[in-house]
Amino acid sequence: MKPVAVLGVGTAAPSLRLAAADVGAAWGSGGGRATVAVCDADEDTLTLAWRAAVDALAAAGVAPAAVSGLWWGTSRPPFAEGPSLAFLAGTLGLDRALDGALVSGSPHAGMEALAAAWDALAAGHADVALVVVSDALVPGLGTAGESSTGAGAAAVVLAPAEGATNGASPPARLVRRATRTVPALDRYRPDGGAATEDVYDGRLFREEVFLPLMAEVGAAVAGGDGNHPVTAWAMADPDGKLAGAVARRLGSPLASAPVQAALGDTGAAAPLLGLVEALAPAGAGTAGADGPRRVGTIGFGGGRATAVTVDVLRPVPGAAGVASLGPGRRASYVEVLRTRGQLEPMGEPIAMGVPPGGAAFVRGNVEMLGLEGARCRACGTISTPPSIHPTCVGCGGSDLEVVSLARTGRVQTFVVNQTMPPPFQAPLPLIVVDLDDGARIMVQGSPADAAELAVGDAVALSLHRYALERGVPVYGYKAFRRHDGGGGDVGTGAAAQEVAR
Amino acid sequence: MSWNKVAVVGAGLIKFGELFEQSYEQMAAGAFTAALGAVDRGMDRSAVDAVIVATQRGSLWGQEGIGGNTVPSAIGLSGVPCTRVENACPSGSDAFRIGAMVVASGVHDIVLVIGVEKMRDKSTQEGLLARAAAGHPLYNRGETAPVLFAPFATRHMHEFGTTPEMLASVAVKNHHNGTLDPYAHFQSEVTVEQVLASPQVCSPLRLLDCCPQTDGAAAVLLTTAERAHEFTDKPVFVAGFGVATDHPYLHEKSTYVGLPATTMAAGRAFDMAGVGAADMDMAEVHDCFTITEILDIEDLGFVEKGKGGPASLEGETALDGRIPVNPSGGLLAKGHPIGATGIAQLTECWWQLREEADERQVAIRNGYALQHNVGGRGSGVSVVNILTRNA
Repeated sequence: MKPVAVLGVGTAAPSLRLAAADVGAAWGSGGGRATVAVCDADEDTLTLAWRAAVDALAAAGVAPAAVSGLWWGTSRPPFAEGPSLAFLAGTLGLDRALDGALVSGSPHAGMEALAAAWDALAAGHADVALVVVSDALVPGLGTAGESSTGAGAAAVVLAPAEGATNGASPPARLVRRATRTVPALDRYRPDGGAATEDVYDGRLFREEVFLPLMAEVGAAVAGGDGNHPVTAWAMADPDGKLAGAVARRLGSPLASAPVQAALGDTGAAAPLLGLVEALAPAGAGTAGADGPRRVGTIGFGGGRATAVTVDVLRPVPGAAGVASLGPGRRASYVEVLRTRGQLEPMGEPIAMGVPPGGAAFVRGNVEMLGLEGARCRACGTISTPPSIHPTCVGCGGSDLEVVSLARTGRVQTFVVNQTMPPPFQAPLPLIVVDLDDGARIMVQGSPADAAELAVGDAVALSLHRYALERGVPVYGYKAFRRHDGGGGDVGTGAAAQEVAR
Repeated sequence: MSWNKVAVVGAGLIKFGELFEQSYEQMAAGAFTAALGAVDRGMDRSAVDAVIVATQRGSLWGQEGIGGNTVPSAIGLSGVPCTRVENACPSGSDAFRIGAMVVASGVHDIVLVIGVEKMRDKSTQEGLLARAAAGHPLYNRGETAPVLFAPFATRHMHEFGTTPEMLASVAVKNHHNGTLDPYAHFQSEVTVEQVLASPQVCSPLRLLDCCPQTDGAAAVLLTTAERAHEFTDKPVFVAGFGVATDHPYLHEKSTYVGLPATTMAAGRAFDMAGVGAADMDMAEVHDCFTITEILDIEDLGFVEKGKGGPASLEGETALDGRIPVNPSGGLLAKGHPIGATGIAQLTECWWQLREEADERQVAIRNGYALQHNVGGRGSGVSVVNILTRNA
């Protein structure tokens, strides 16, 4: 069994923030003081996963082509049945000879993805593993989950500790793991159900099921190694009470409280989002005089709980703390109901011309998800997208190579569309972008930029959900205005979005 | 020397508008009847040897597969050869060009070119706004028709200082001309202030910068120059025509302050006709949006590149201006039933050259008129036809 190192991490939070008080006001109940993160209409568990993964790869200094496996944990993948993992791999530009797995079905999926990647590396089946955990659950109307269910994503790049960092010690390494299983029904979503249901007596389950289960797995990984006590814990906290109680029982502080307060219960993402917080310099910190700091994280759901401990030797690249997740934009309860698809206008939706299951999408998906162009070897012009350009738009030549397009550029020209049929919402900028590699594309922009957008503005591209078409998510890139003037180099995920904000 | 192998001996249209009470077939019959009625010495419909139908979006009247070959039966010509032409917004003008070539080929002596389009049988959202995917079907979702032209307005303003008032002046002029055209969809004046106060549709374009969605049909009768005098003493000849394509998508344009397809098509038409822009007495150009007319008059050579805005504001394109543009009211006021649009523009040129345009008649000095359309996903095709009354 090879020891496994953490090379880099990334996180992502969606754009909207919902106050529990607004939910409470709608239902005539208290609501409380909490704020949760919610996806805008063009975000979902995949776009969050993409942003965290892109940043984790950049932080780790690992090229997408070097990733040998992708393990994605999300309670509710974008396709209940379908190519969820393949789509995420396509957006990240990962090699087609890709190992890994999609783990779903409960918030425990995040820990199961981490465990599977760890095992594959330890057994020598993979060289570099990308673990992504994300969730954007839809809570049932009127359930307690509406005031606590958040959304977010975290990603970690793992590799065997030996040789992973050219002789230097890796920033962190995985230490111990324990899992327990108990057949208890907690949050669930039935076949065909649109929302996650809370059927349990929350207090009963907290006291009688989750608290003992989590304490048990925590104690299992914390015990037996007195030289390295766990100095901080991270874990999901669906009701704002459980995590604190578990941490108290385990006798160490809770490092995940700030991220929980900022985003709410992020489901499958929560254990790793909390862990990343614990890895940040302001969190559990780095090696002290007495050796590495040891942090632990616990995930549970679906009648399972898993605890993992990590030794932190030096600052982990990409662990930037909760502030890096951004403040988001406060949204009303009604806006959130719309973005979650729980409030829809009457009447037939107007179908797009091309069904997402059609051959055009088979031809177009790879180049759309991966943002590809066809570069002419004769004149250098990049025609986009490749599938409709068998010849170069510059010189008519046909000696073309597929390339991944630059993710930053400048506005050549644009419009702000104010009149579109559903599902599009005004104002929607549509921007012709001159990318920094010389390619030119036309993409959607951000409503937030609509008022100030100008010719020549520097923009950065990020992945979004363009539409939910016949129930199928359709993804594409959007251009966001950069407020740094375009001078500095940016990543392409959350970091680029932060620069854009 | 102009080409002049083919003559227009009859032309007509139905009143454009929201024609909920008329079927596609009834509109076609109305236009054919109008064209036959305009033949000075009369023409029996049995004289027609072939029909070319321009319909761009059969989908808008709900019969995607059969638009075109239903027309002969509907207009009493069942059995006559008929072919449908679809070439985006220039469908009508391209059908005319093809009809002229058919006549010139000697295969058919008398050809009816008829454009018919049902734009309003489907809701606005399902119509031209449908699917908001005017661009590549997989990319750029959210692209409605104005998105195909508004980016040019943004860039034209950026490079040349073109103002919203200059754009508005195009709408003011064309709505005024529309009040003088009994066939126009809109029959009312608008002011610059009204244009600037109208709702944003797709910035920088406002509602009154945009043409309406209009039902309509128009028809012309073509025959050989030799036989033209069997039907009229005032034939109008096809002096020349040109078609050009460009890269079809907006992100592939070599410029965002002009439409190269227009310039290429016009160059070919002028060469064929042996004349230039300065020889034109008037022009019917594609003004689906105000910015489009400003681009057109530059690309066609009527004004210098970048000067289209000031020229419009200063009245150079008015009925009594240096080069009257869109005396019929244009697409902005007369309407844009796509397949019919080009044929209706040619009908206006025919009336103007015959000096039958009543209150909106312009001065005919050189005897030439130009008709132009441009369209497609990103103005990837343009057609220019030049007519002359000079034998």
